[in-house]
Formats: sequence, C-alpha cells, structure tokens
Amino acid sequence: MWQIAPAGDQALLVTVGRAIDPTLLGEILALDQALADSRPTGLISTVPAYASLLCHYDPEATDPARLEASIRRLEGQLEGSVPFGAVVDIPTRYDGPDLADVALQTNLAPAGVVAAHAGREYLVYCVGFAPGFTYCGALPDQLAVPRLASPRLRVSAGSIGIAGRQTGIYAVESPGGWNLIGRTALRLFDPAADPPARFRPGDRLRFVPTS
Amino acid sequence: MIEVVETGRWTTIQDRGRPGLERFGISSGGATDWFAAVVANRIVGNHQDAALLECTAGGPTLRFDSDAVIAVTGGHSAGVANWQAVPSARGSSLIVGRIAPGLRTYIAVRGGIDVPLVLGSRSFSQRGSFGGGFGRPLAKGDGLAVGRMAELEPMATPWPESHRLPARGPWEVRVIAGPQQDAFSADALPRLGATACRVTPEIDRMGLRMETPGLRLQAKEILTVPMTAGAIQVTPSGGLIVLHVDHQSTGGYPVIATVIGADLSLLAQARPGDTVRFRSVDLAEAARAWRRLTGWLELNQ
Repeated sequence: MWQIAPAGDQALLVTVGRAIDPTLLGEILALDQALADSRPTGLISTVPAYASLLCHYDPEATDPARLEASIRRLEGQLEGSVPFGAVVDIPTRYDGPDLADVALQTNLAPAGVVAAHAGREYLVYCVGFAPGFTYCGALPDQLAVPRLASPRLRVSAGSIGIAGRQTGIYAVESPGGWNLIGRTALRLFDPAADPPARFRPGDRLRFVPTS
Repeated sequence: MIEVVETGRWTTIQDRGRPGLERFGISSGGATDWFAAVVANRIVGNHQDAALLECTAGGPTLRFDSDAVIAVTGGHSAGVANWQAVPSARGSSLIVGRIAPGLRTYIAVRGGIDVPLVLGSRSFSQRGSFGGGFGRPLAKGDGLAVGRMAELEPMATPWPESHRLPARGPWEVRVIAGPQQDAFSADALPRLGATACRVTPEIDRMGLRMETPGLRLQAKEILTVPMTAGAIQVTPSGGLIVLHVDHQSTGGYPVIATVIGADLSLLAQARPGDTVRFRSVDLAEAARAWRRLTGWLELNQ
C-alpha cells in the first residue's frame, strides 16, 4: 500500500517502501513517468528518490485530496521494473583520504577495497542532496561502513564516497560525511548543460580503476 | 550601474528561484522571505520575476551612477525609509547598515538587477555556487546593471502596515504534521508544539539549526527521501534542522512536521536567540494563510 502524506501545504510525498531495492525504484520511476504522461491538474514537478516520489503542487490550482486521488488511481497499475540502460564507466583514481581507514574497518587490504568497490555494476537510486550528487547502490556488504563521526566541511567535486550500503559521487564541492575512497575527473554537474546533471535515477554505472 | 561600495554581511542576488529542478539536486532557492521580496518588486513597479538584493544581518552600501527608484522591505534598515518607493538620485549612496528587527532586507531597484539567467533564474545558489551574476555573494567593487523589468508605475504610498508580517519574534510558525510522523512517538509533535524552540547562530539560506530546551526527541535515520523547504528534520542527537529555500534536495533525517509556505517568510527573519513555537494546523488553515498573503498582494496591484 502506498503511503501518501502531506509534505507541508504544497507537496505530497508518496512512499512505496523503505529499502534500497531495484523493484521499489522501478515502481517510483514508473509512477513518475505515469504522472508526467497524465499531468494531473495543479501538479508542478516531481522528485524521485529510492522508494519515494515528492509531488509539488500549486495550492491555488488543486487541493491535496484531489491530487492524492489521481495518484492513488495509478496504484497497482504500473509495471515496476527499472528500464535496462547502458552501463557508464566512471574512471576512478582510488586514492581517497579514507581508503586506508575503510581497509582497516573492513579487514581488507586497500587493494581489496578497490576490487570490491570496482567489481560490480551499480544502479543510480537518486540524484540529490547537492546539485548532481549521485547516490548509487547497492554496495557489497563487506564494504558497509558508517558515515564519518564528524563530516568534512569541504569535499571536492568528483570525490567518490561510501556509507552504509551506498556509494556516491560528489558533483560539486560541498560538505560531506561519507568515507572518501577515490575520485573521478568526470564532470557530473554543469549548470549550462541540459539536463544539468550527468545521471538520473535508473541509470547504471561502474567504477573503473585508473592509475 | 550600481556600485557595491560595501558588501554587508552576506548580500546575494535573488528572484523567485528555480523550482522544478530538485530532481537534479538543485533546490528552488530564491528569496528566503518570499513575501517581502514580492512586495519590494511590487512597490517599484517591477515584474514579479525581477531580481533584487537579499541582505543578511548587515546590509551593503551602494552608489548609484544614474537616477533610480528603490524599495527596501523585510528586516528593518535604519538607513532609508522602508516599505515605500524611494527615489535615489544619480551619484547618491544607499547605506543599509545594521538590520533589526528581522534578519533579511530586500532592496529592489526599478527595472530589476540585470544578470544572466542560469537554469531559468537569476538567483545565487549557495549549494551549486552558480547564478546571482557572480556565482558568489556580492563583493566590494562589483557593478550591478539595472534591467528593464519594470511594468507598472511605482506605488505612490507606502505598503500598508496592516499588510505586512510581524517584524520580530517570538515567532509562531504554523506546521503540517509529517511526512515522516510515523518515525516518532504519538506525543512527539504535541510536545514539540509546547516547546519554545531556540534559534542557534547556525543559520543560512539552507536552513536553521534549533534547540529544543527541555525536550529530547528520539529519531533514527531513514532511507533517503526528497525534502522540501520548511521540513523540520530531527537529528539523531535530538536537535532540529529546519530547511529553508537553498536546502538539500534529499535527506535521511525524519521530518516530524513541515512549515507552511506562508510562514517560511517568518523563519527567514528569525535571528539567533529568538524563540519559535511550532503550531500544528490542518491543510485548510494553511490554505487560508496562503490566501491571506496572496490577497494582500492582489489588493495592492
């Protein structure tokens, strides 16, 4: 059962689950597409992330009960799988300041951390937090480490971090609490580009070690 | 041209922001006190999308090298008549100075501040360091071009006092419960409503950190969800972060309640040390509050 709750007086949040799960992301992307196609009155824009979709509306053009009813009509009607796209390579220098620490915490050699991180394909679950920041999953269990006890004030663009079962790429300089294990020279955010972010939820990528 | 002689504490170019780009990690941004900004543009006769200056705590000193009409609204500046159209002669200076009561003052110039649109807006984005003409707050010596976004005559009389928001705390801020209300015990929101929350010095356009004296809320992190301006996040240590217009577009702290759109303007004026009480309302009351402000704007067309 979808949970639909007000997020203030100008948005509704649809939550379809609470796990990092490709099926749930697929359901969210399908809902997002269905709303883009049906364009309920008053719906301004949507924001997908993992297992939820935020729906901004114009309170002068619709009321939340009417919008909720238009969303509810789609429940059970959607094909919930992530479209299969090409896998994008992310050239990665594994020289992050937290690599040695992650190796200690996971009982691996630094090369083992690199092998585990680079050895699989990831799904983009969300672009959020800061412009272009790309959240990917799922990280192998053996690499799951907690966030830093105290976040860094500045993490440079292109930094690649891990936290819990997630790995992510910082697209602009920002504060950050993830363990930094590498960096890429790929530009993931460009305000002059259309779209401004390189990735979107449902994309697939893999990290390719470079020296 | 307008020359920035002194920058003030943190002065940026803002407009109504760039809504609809949150899916790229870009929050809508724009003026934090949206109501004061809309009024400033209206007073000088600008289109509602014209860009203006948002000043924080201490305002800039500006020199005008041609005749201009300006309006200063929001947090109070002693340097000039507030909430009315003021002619600024060629060669004259505007000294905004210290802002109080309130925290943020808006300076609209008839015609608007003319800087390039980035992603559909002239607003400076703090998280992305783009927009606002310079991709940063104003610096000494910057020159600001005046645009051509005037569409009405300037208002002949001051903006009515009865159509302004409260200028100082203690603040009563109305909220809608949730969306992650189920991450808290049933009595958490009523107890928050009974607490005089205190604004800490950690305030910026992204959000306000607040303390809840005598109340320790319990919350665990949740799966990352999209966030809105006004979201009251509860951190694992029990503190509050109330998100504002340059907020992170997603987050992992549960949101106990969300400030209604009409009252985001009040939060924009809250100063460190002020107390804030969050009052839970229903959507019908939120809609009435919104209509009240938009009604004031329509009355003064």
